[in-house]
Amino acid sequence: MQNFLSVLHLLIRPEVLFPAALGTLMGVYIGAIPGLSGTMAVSLLVSLTYTWSETPAIALIMGVFVGVVYGGSRSAILLNIPGAPAAVATGFDGYPLAQKGKAAEAMGLACVQSFIGTILGILALAFLTPQISKISSLFRSVDYLLLGVLALLLVGSVSKGRMTKGLLGAALGLFLGCVGNTSQFSVNRFTFDVRYLDGGIGFIVAMIGLFGAGEALYQLSIDAPTVRQDIPKRIVPPFRTILKHLPLTLFSSVLGIFVGALPGAGGDMAALLGYDAAKRTVRRNEVPFGEGAVEGLIAPETANNAAIGGALIPMLTLGVPGDAITAVLLGALSMRGVSHLSLQSARPDLYLLILAALVLSALFLLLFGLTGIRLFVRMLHIPKGLLMPVILMLCTVGAYAINANIYDVLLMVGFGLLGFVMKRFDYPVAPIVLGLILRSLLETNAIRVVLLSASGGVFGALTPFLAALLIGAVILGQVRIGKERV
Amino acid sequence: MKRLLAALLAVLLLCGCTASQINGIIQWGEGGGTDMLMRPLCTLTEPYLARKILPRNMPGGTGTLATQYVYDKRADGTTLLLGAENPAMYDALELSDLTYRDFECVLLIGCETVGVTVAADSKYTDFASLIEAAKANPGTIRLATTAKGGLPWTVARFLYAVTGATFAEIPYDSDATARNAVLNGECEVTVSKLQSGVEACREGKMRYLCMFTDASVDAFPDVPPITDYDPAFSEYLPWGPFYGVFVKKGTDAETCRTLSEAFLKGYADDAYQKLLSDLYVEPLGLSGEEANAYIEAWRAASLKALNIE
Repeated sequence: MQNFLSVLHLLIRPEVLFPAALGTLMGVYIGAIPGLSGTMAVSLLVSLTYTWSETPAIALIMGVFVGVVYGGSRSAILLNIPGAPAAVATGFDGYPLAQKGKAAEAMGLACVQSFIGTILGILALAFLTPQISKISSLFRSVDYLLLGVLALLLVGSVSKGRMTKGLLGAALGLFLGCVGNTSQFSVNRFTFDVRYLDGGIGFIVAMIGLFGAGEALYQLSIDAPTVRQDIPKRIVPPFRTILKHLPLTLFSSVLGIFVGALPGAGGDMAALLGYDAAKRTVRRNEVPFGEGAVEGLIAPETANNAAIGGALIPMLTLGVPGDAITAVLLGALSMRGVSHLSLQSARPDLYLLILAALVLSALFLLLFGLTGIRLFVRMLHIPKGLLMPVILMLCTVGAYAINANIYDVLLMVGFGLLGFVMKRFDYPVAPIVLGLILRSLLETNAIRVVLLSASGGVFGALTPFLAALLIGAVILGQVRIGKERV
Repeated sequence: MKRLLAALLAVLLLCGCTASQINGIIQWGEGGGTDMLMRPLCTLTEPYLARKILPRNMPGGTGTLATQYVYDKRADGTTLLLGAENPAMYDALELSDLTYRDFECVLLIGCETVGVTVAADSKYTDFASLIEAAKANPGTIRLATTAKGGLPWTVARFLYAVTGATFAEIPYDSDATARNAVLNGECEVTVSKLQSGVEACREGKMRYLCMFTDASVDAFPDVPPITDYDPAFSEYLPWGPFYGVFVKKGTDAETCRTLSEAFLKGYADDAYQKLLSDLYVEPLGLSGEEANAYIEAWRAASLKALNIE
């Protein structure tokens, strides 16, 4: 009760309120720009706020964290360019919704679902930290490997019935992910002495090229009319819609919190697994997945924001960041001489500040996320001949902004052309990005499992999580949320 | 066509905007030990340079990617390598042809103390029992490392050089995940810097078996120095990871001097000295020939352990 009152008190303090608002606003718009990642934004803010006092600095960073995870969905829905890897899955059904003239509806729903996901993640952080932390700390290499294999099964979900083509794409993605210097053995692979390739092929560059530039080129090549967008008077989705999908929302949130709490997994994995789980379990959807199903939007948007609370749990209890942004945050706390282990007991004031800043950021997300939608949607009324070149320009700037490297732009152009050719010949592009994202998780853990087994280690034993994941995979294949649509 | 030209113009404008700033390339990932030391230093140094320093992480290949990136830039002082000790040994470990000899040291910030750590409930009660077990079962005790050339990997070479003990080395992505592997039982031992191990030890989750020093450490007065086990280690000591700011060799002396002066002022800031103290980093504050001599001595000790001339 005392803690609850303390959080309430923090919510109205100006040094928490204003930075959280500013951070969320910045996050929503930074997240929407492909190439400007949340990690990059938070890293910059950590430097900028180093000389600030603790309270506004943490409130600002939390605001950006929450805003940026949602922000990525805007460009994914409107332009099929995910602003961040966590928004890749949002585009699977969000973009088809926009193509049907329902971009405003999709963006409103994405915002509300992100809000709900964030709140549920905060509740987990507030009440279930010890339990979730214990589970995530026990996750071993073999469990991560299996998680990667499970995620790879997503190829089936994103191939839209073109399994052979999807598998080819995933194989290409996994292969491209192997290009560069291996982190574990410091050996260059498939770089052909081109130094730029030592750093590997970044999946954000690939994502911008395949989804953004590829789609823009494809749209320019076909003679399809500009879709007139419905601009509803009410952007907020009806309460009954939210209630109808509550089981899916809760399921996606739990998944998001748990995956977020696994060090190295993060919001992108949470969103992808959330989408896959929704596709396997939801059967009463009015529109098929991949063609504008709202369920395909709800699941990833809820899961990736729920993962925020999840990712903070191992950071605050074990000192192991759940994702790249929490890694920066961990550094920021250490820079300030804050003991990051057992923050709940060691620095309850700071722990409550983080909770309060997250609650405020979620509320501001609802405010800022639901504003400006009409303006954004009107952008889609611009004739394609004008809009698509602008998108190509955005892709160029986005690719350059990642590392201020012109070679990233050239690589993005290459992926754009590849995406265009694939779309022309009806090959799904998402499996390539999936392969690129999953390669590291699969390979590094496979290597560890082999080395561990060679030393007589844990490979032979069926760990509790391996067993749980196997059972979960079997159940996932059987359970259906809602009745089968006839 | 006009729009494509506009896109190109936007890129060129971005190039122009970034040209007036100094880029600081951090060798290791976000939130890691190097990152934590470099970002505040850049913030505190900016006013003395009157230029923005933009720190950016470029992890990978034990820091070789960042090192090569900075080396490939012009030697004009606008691209800094914000690095750890690793490049000092790149050539010997065949990770890269580059070493710190190809760079000028702007500022050597400080060095750290490291120790051998196990989980609190580990069966190894002291360092001697660990080494005995490792010698009795060569290559089977699981040591969590951060890949070839990383800290645990290098310390394992010292252990082998003096005791002959070998381990099954399992590479992890960072010292945090290596530490977690020890805590969850996947690995049995790792090597932790004080800044990354101290909290888990105080929480009662982990134990230092020994410090890689020749005298006990203030933070853990009860943990014996490694020379208590075998005084032969003293020929390699003092040894520990260090951090510094570097520019490509060939940068003119005036630019190096300006950068060194500015970074020294940022380094001397009370806030930064407190940070070093909080992170258990021993301040060095060296530049120029003094810094070069330090790095050469460090390299010589490491090469000796690796049995490389």
